[in-house]
Amino acid sequence: MSGRVAVCAVAQIKNEPDIWYQRFQGMLFECFESIIKQTGVTFDMEKGIRNIITCSDDVFDARTISDNGVTDAVGAHFRGEEKAAQDGINGLGYAMASILSGHDDLVLLMGHCKESQSESRNMCSNLAFDPFFCRPLGLDFLNAAAFQARAYMNKSGVTDAHLAKIVSRSRKLAAKNPYARENDPITEQNVLESPLLADPIRQLHQYPVTDWAVGMLLCCEDRAREFTDNPVFLTGFGSCMDSYFLGDRDLASNFALKKAAQRAYRMAGISDPKKEFDIAELNDAIAYQLPMWAEGLGLADENQGGEWVASGALDAQHVNLSGGMLNGNPIMLGGLARATEAILQLRGEAGDRQAEGAAKAVAHGTTGPAGQHHAVIILERQGV
Amino acid sequence: MSTATNDCFIVNGKLALPYQYFAGRAGSRFIISLRDEKKIRGLKCQKCGKVFVPPRATCETCFEDICENWVDVKNTGVVTCFTIIRYKEPHQPVDPPYILGLVKLDGADTPLAHIVKGVPLSKMKTGLKVKAVFAKKTTGGIMDIDHFQVVDDKPKFEMGYSYDELEIGMSASFTKTISETDVYLFAGISGDFNPMHMNEEFAKMTPFGTRIAHGALPQSLIAPVLGMKLPGLGTVIPEITVRFKRPTYFGDTITAIGEVVEKIEKKRWVRMELRWTNQKDELVAEGSCLAIPPMPFNK
Repeated sequence: MSGRVAVCAVAQIKNEPDIWYQRFQGMLFECFESIIKQTGVTFDMEKGIRNIITCSDDVFDARTISDNGVTDAVGAHFRGEEKAAQDGINGLGYAMASILSGHDDLVLLMGHCKESQSESRNMCSNLAFDPFFCRPLGLDFLNAAAFQARAYMNKSGVTDAHLAKIVSRSRKLAAKNPYARENDPITEQNVLESPLLADPIRQLHQYPVTDWAVGMLLCCEDRAREFTDNPVFLTGFGSCMDSYFLGDRDLASNFALKKAAQRAYRMAGISDPKKEFDIAELNDAIAYQLPMWAEGLGLADENQGGEWVASGALDAQHVNLSGGMLNGNPIMLGGLARATEAILQLRGEAGDRQAEGAAKAVAHGTTGPAGQHHAVIILERQGV
Repeated sequence: MSTATNDCFIVNGKLALPYQYFAGRAGSRFIISLRDEKKIRGLKCQKCGKVFVPPRATCETCFEDICENWVDVKNTGVVTCFTIIRYKEPHQPVDPPYILGLVKLDGADTPLAHIVKGVPLSKMKTGLKVKAVFAKKTTGGIMDIDHFQVVDDKPKFEMGYSYDELEIGMSASFTKTISETDVYLFAGISGDFNPMHMNEEFAKMTPFGTRIAHGALPQSLIAPVLGMKLPGLGTVIPEITVRFKRPTYFGDTITAIGEVVEKIEKKRWVRMELRWTNQKDELVAEGSCLAIPPMPFNK
């Protein structure tokens, strides 16, 4: 182990509903050029980037081994390249392992997803299910989440009104974020009146179709100052995979998230998650998930999600000041977008949404139906 | 952007690729049972006792090989969670709106996702009992179960008062006017064509001076009280005693009354006092019975 892992630079394009005029390679290339420009990093095989981690999804890209389509745009030819086919936040965990093990000094992490390309997100996520028992029934990430929403809301006192509050808050906050998808402002009443898609999930409870790309340069602590004066350190990471079949899981239990959080907290020495974080960014693809994941992360008390939302804890604990995934980030990048926001906050570069003096943050990502897999990462500002 | 996007060309594409998937050893057995026997089978972990449906070759908790431990599970189960699908997309098996449920089959531990029918959407709730309805034509897969139908687990009949519901002092009655036709029909039922009930000229010679009903005819009017009112449906009467006090003449209106007078805790039976009166409130007969109140409804 050589100290900590530093994020030296982040670059992102604006989240948009349909970047029809640009290929995802072009979206990545914008981020890539920005990273080079910000850091002056090279591709020298001794001192530069020798390894690149990409994050993408085959079905959303309509191309198997989807990284094959982008390697040239992210500088990955003639060197190591590996792909994370889970939420991109796992790419961060993987980059940490590469650097902490001494395998690499530098890792370039690049993620993209263009949800607008396919006719239907739900048809894509239907393909995440086995072809024998689940896919023929039309299971997809939306209806799988609906099972979980019902089970969780029943247990935690989260109501339709709480969800409306969460969604309208997300839109208000995201309006301050220049990288956020531009959405129509909505009231709580609009949310309450939006049509049910899969009870109890309404249309406005779900994040909108979004295209986005992001890049980060990660480096061992010893060399971080070569690339930035303002590094953010990754001090803890944990992940956990729950059972595949929905019926095998206790859908309202947060089992995998609790395990992932425990592992990340132990690594980073977190003992009181309610008090220790200045920023919390949670992967809320659907509104009910925000209080649910907050419980799993220990930001809210067990089974008290409804009370937690009503109490104003979201603002008090600086949860999803970015607007969260609810405002629009693509699938597979919801968690990496959370980490991106946490990094900007810790660097003091979050503009109008900046939390004064933010020093420590938790970011969370989830992959698979109804939160099957969770990853938690702890980030700290320099000098903490 | 107007000039930058002048020559942007969108290529239409489609991914459509036929596949053949081997269902696995466990999956094959499961699907073949569904197809050939209309039987749902699960695999049981001998170590933790969990029964998996859909089947798994290995218990994920115990790491036990369970691929030969087949057990039959029932075609009935309970909905543990559900959603109502209201959006319409091509990957769906039926047109929305429809109910997608997690169904825990009786004998299995892991609920199975499937379509639920047989209840209005507004009345759908977790905990409903369902039964598998098999598809008319096999497709060799999970859709050999067409859907799960909600079964009404409420009794079709309103059962009588249970022992615990019965209180001393509760009473019920039944009233009927006895006609010549009733008496003649009762003679046919019992075979008792005694001329004192049938023949007015003969009856004039008896102490009653006219035809009277068979004693058992007014007595039988207590049966609708005990069997249909108090205690009610499901009651068994192991003993009944009657003393006849007055004759019943044709045209008399008889009221049979039963009243709970004792709860016999040891046997969980009740004792009831019985009375028969006519339209003049004269006592026609009196007696008592033992009643075994209905047991909890037996499906």
